[in-house]
Amino acid sequence: MSVSNRIKTLVILLAGLCVHLTSASATDVSHLQITVGSVERVPQTLSISDIDAMPQVQFTTSTIWTDEPTTFSGVPLKSVLEAAGIDGKNVEMVALNDYSVSIPVTELEENAPIIATRMNGQTMSVRDKGPFWVVYPYDDEAKYQTETAYSRSIWQLNRLNIIE
Amino acid sequence: MKSGLQGYRIALLVGLVVLALLMTVMVTNLLSQLRNLSTAEGDNNQWSISQLDTEFANLAAILSKQISKPSLSDDEVRLRLDIALSRLAIINSGRAAALFKGNEETKAQIDTINAFAEQAVNIADKPGILSREDFIALQTMTDTVRPAVRKIALTGVSIGAQQSEYRRDQFARQLKLTGGTAIGLLVVMAAMLLFLGHLLTRAQQRDTALKESTLRLESTVEASLDGIITADESGKIIEYNSAAERVLGWTRQEILGRTMEATIIPHKFRDAHREGMERFLKTREPHVVDAGRIELTALRKTGEEFPIELNITSVEGKESLEFIAYIRDISERKIDEQKLIDARDRAERTDKAKSQFLAVMSHEMRTPLNGILGVLDLLKTTPLSEKQSRYTGIATASSEILLEHINEALDITRIETGTLSLVDQKFDLAELLSGIIDVLEPLAVEKNLTMNFEFDEHLRIPFYGDGNRIRQVVINLLGNAIKFTDKGTVGLKVSGIHGPSETSLYIAVSDTGPGIDPEHQGQIFEDFVVLAHSEGRQSRGDGLGLSISRKIARKMDGDIKVNSAIGAGTTFTLTVPLTRADHSELEDETQKLPTEGKVEKSKGYSILVVEDNDINRSILKDMLMGMGHSVSEAENGVECLALAEKSTFDLVFMDISMPVMNGIEAARRLRAGESANKFVPIIGLTAHGREEYREQAQLAGMTQFQTKPIRLPTLHTILDNIFASSVETPHAEEHVLQELCGALGSEKVSKTGTALFNELRDFMNEVAAGNLAAGTPELAEAAHKLKGATALLGMRSLEHILLHMENTARSGQRDNSFSVRLHELKQTAISTEAAFNHYLNGRKQPSSSG
Repeated sequence: MSVSNRIKTLVILLAGLCVHLTSASATDVSHLQITVGSVERVPQTLSISDIDAMPQVQFTTSTIWTDEPTTFSGVPLKSVLEAAGIDGKNVEMVALNDYSVSIPVTELEENAPIIATRMNGQTMSVRDKGPFWVVYPYDDEAKYQTETAYSRSIWQLNRLNIIE
Repeated sequence: MKSGLQGYRIALLVGLVVLALLMTVMVTNLLSQLRNLSTAEGDNNQWSISQLDTEFANLAAILSKQISKPSLSDDEVRLRLDIALSRLAIINSGRAAALFKGNEETKAQIDTINAFAEQAVNIADKPGILSREDFIALQTMTDTVRPAVRKIALTGVSIGAQQSEYRRDQFARQLKLTGGTAIGLLVVMAAMLLFLGHLLTRAQQRDTALKESTLRLESTVEASLDGIITADESGKIIEYNSAAERVLGWTRQEILGRTMEATIIPHKFRDAHREGMERFLKTREPHVVDAGRIELTALRKTGEEFPIELNITSVEGKESLEFIAYIRDISERKIDEQKLIDARDRAERTDKAKSQFLAVMSHEMRTPLNGILGVLDLLKTTPLSEKQSRYTGIATASSEILLEHINEALDITRIETGTLSLVDQKFDLAELLSGIIDVLEPLAVEKNLTMNFEFDEHLRIPFYGDGNRIRQVVINLLGNAIKFTDKGTVGLKVSGIHGPSETSLYIAVSDTGPGIDPEHQGQIFEDFVVLAHSEGRQSRGDGLGLSISRKIARKMDGDIKVNSAIGAGTTFTLTVPLTRADHSELEDETQKLPTEGKVEKSKGYSILVVEDNDINRSILKDMLMGMGHSVSEAENGVECLALAEKSTFDLVFMDISMPVMNGIEAARRLRAGESANKFVPIIGLTAHGREEYREQAQLAGMTQFQTKPIRLPTLHTILDNIFASSVETPHAEEHVLQELCGALGSEKVSKTGTALFNELRDFMNEVAAGNLAAGTPELAEAAHKLKGATALLGMRSLEHILLHMENTARSGQRDNSFSVRLHELKQTAISTEAAFNHYLNGRKQPSSSG
């Protein structure tokens, strides 16, 4: 990622933050919140357009939850954390139904997993496991077909909590 | 060995292949297992399905709370509903849905749930705010569908559990299989290790054995007394032991790597050696190599050649053929052998020289002794005083003893030098023994001894053998018996056993003398030995008589044994095998014994003495002249023949061994010639023991054969015999002629006689011309006719000869003595004719003279 791209992303993020700081409600489905540990501070939020503004990754893979191979697109989790500029050892991912799972930051790869925003080119409703779904390109490697990878494939993602 | 190794190799290979297969199977199994374990196929689905129930419980709780006390916004409720509905995708698609496929009960429940979802969505998605009634409807619907949801969740768990169990079973099976394979592998590996261990042990054992045997071989080679050299095909020496160093002089360091050709092969054999090696390598034919022990010459480092005993073997070496040579220095052995041979040759030469010396000396001594005896015999014929007569007697006796000793010594040397030969001829044993008795009995009678003669009548048949030698032995035995017995009896007993063709003859001579100590019985047969121990002349076996007798007996394949004890007399037994001769051929050897009526001494014959020794010749001449005959002398055969041309003789004494021309040749020429002496009787004279001439003498036509020296009494006998046939016959049958003359008149008898003698001459001429052959019926017929006439005229000698001729001819047998007999006939005819004429003239003279 070039320096200009980084600045652009930062600008967008900051703009996004400004927009959503006031409209935060009890359960904001359309925004992804990023919090840091137990420290009480105002969380960052990313809207779907914020995410769309970031460099996209797209792949087609079969999953254990679908009958047909499915095309996913979105941004890698790693680049989201980098863009947020938050350091931590683990990322706790929390779903709308409060399901949560942790990933050590070191296990995040350049292009997997991604926070998918589109399935087969369409955004996803809550009813359809959306709007954010963490997925791996399962067909690419056997390590993506493990229990761990499946449990980390969290759908209806609502919040990322970075733990020191 | 090789096939065994091959077997091991195959076993190892098979083991390895099995191992590799097992490994592949294991790795494949493990990999698939690993993949199964690392890719979680269903666990997340179970959780997702079970979560369905939780989400519906949450939804029910929220709806219940909203109904009793509305606090949540519509969006919150809708969100909860959406979350619950999103879970329904799990059971409708993906792997979780696949779990339920084919399960009718589950399908009905899923349908129920899907129907709920549709109704719920209809309510939730209607525009506007949701009313309390909406919530209640939703709550009711939710409560209604929850059992189905719960059921689905449980079924999911149950199926999941089954699947897990199945996978665990699979895994356990796989694990067992893998474990089994691993155990199998371990077993195979253990077996292989054992096997390898076994091989290793064996290899070690072999290695040890090989080392031991190599060590043993090395020490054997090193300790060998024979030099051992190993060379390769090119002849290069590759091994060389210390014995070889000793034998050849080269040290091991010096010679290793050099060729045999350049070191130990003598220069003159090097080319042959090279060719031999090449030939062997080409043909492999053993010549020197692999040919066993041979003797060759080798070269020492110092340059001297020496004889060796060599044994070369070839063996396939590591790279090429190798030759192993075992070399033994036999120079010392060779030198020793040569020394032995030299010593033997020297001893033989000395021995031969001694024998020859003895023979020559004995012979040379006999000649002067002949002179002494002859002169003594002559001396006795002169008038002598009593004293002189006694002295000549002693001198004669001493000379005779001396002669006997010399003869014995000659016999010994002749036996030892192998020149004694037996002369086989027919003889009458009974007559031979009677003759001996006749001669020796007077001696026994002189000592007042009785003499017994027992003769087995079965043996009164002709034998074929050397009768003269048998006579010599028997005379010796019987003479000794008489000599050493003072009183009692001396016996001669003859018996025999007839074999198929031979007769085993036993002649036992016994006496009642003092006997012989058994200790000395062996010695009496040895040369000179007993003589040395004897006390004076009264001891047995003095001289060589017994020794010679036994040697003669053994030469005839017989033996002499003695049986004696002190005081019990002695018996000597001569055993000898004799071939039986034909009966009819016997009667011809009988003329030698003196006839009874040798009374009248014939005188005035003309006699030729042929003898090269002056003394012998002059003594014989003196003897004959003393008997009233006229004597001519010749020194050899040539002189004899010359004299025979000039004058006519009545008798010839002919020495056999003479210079210029010997007696046998002279006799043959005399008989073959045409002189007046063609039919003269010839007495052959030979040195003692020269019996081998007897046959030659007969073939040459000699009338008689006599051993020198001729003593005066013997000479009388010979002359009487020779001249008796001519004189005696008419005498004996004078009355026949008298009667004839009386009956027919002298004239008639004379004519008849003349006719007979003419016929006889014709007969003999015919035979000589070959018209009448020996053994033919014609000859028998002619002889028969002549025989009649001779019988008529009382000429018994002629009749006897003619009868024999006739009989022999009729028998058809070959007559070996025909020529002699023919000659005899001539002689007898001459003498008979002379006597016949003499008688008739005598008749005429008295009548004419008064």
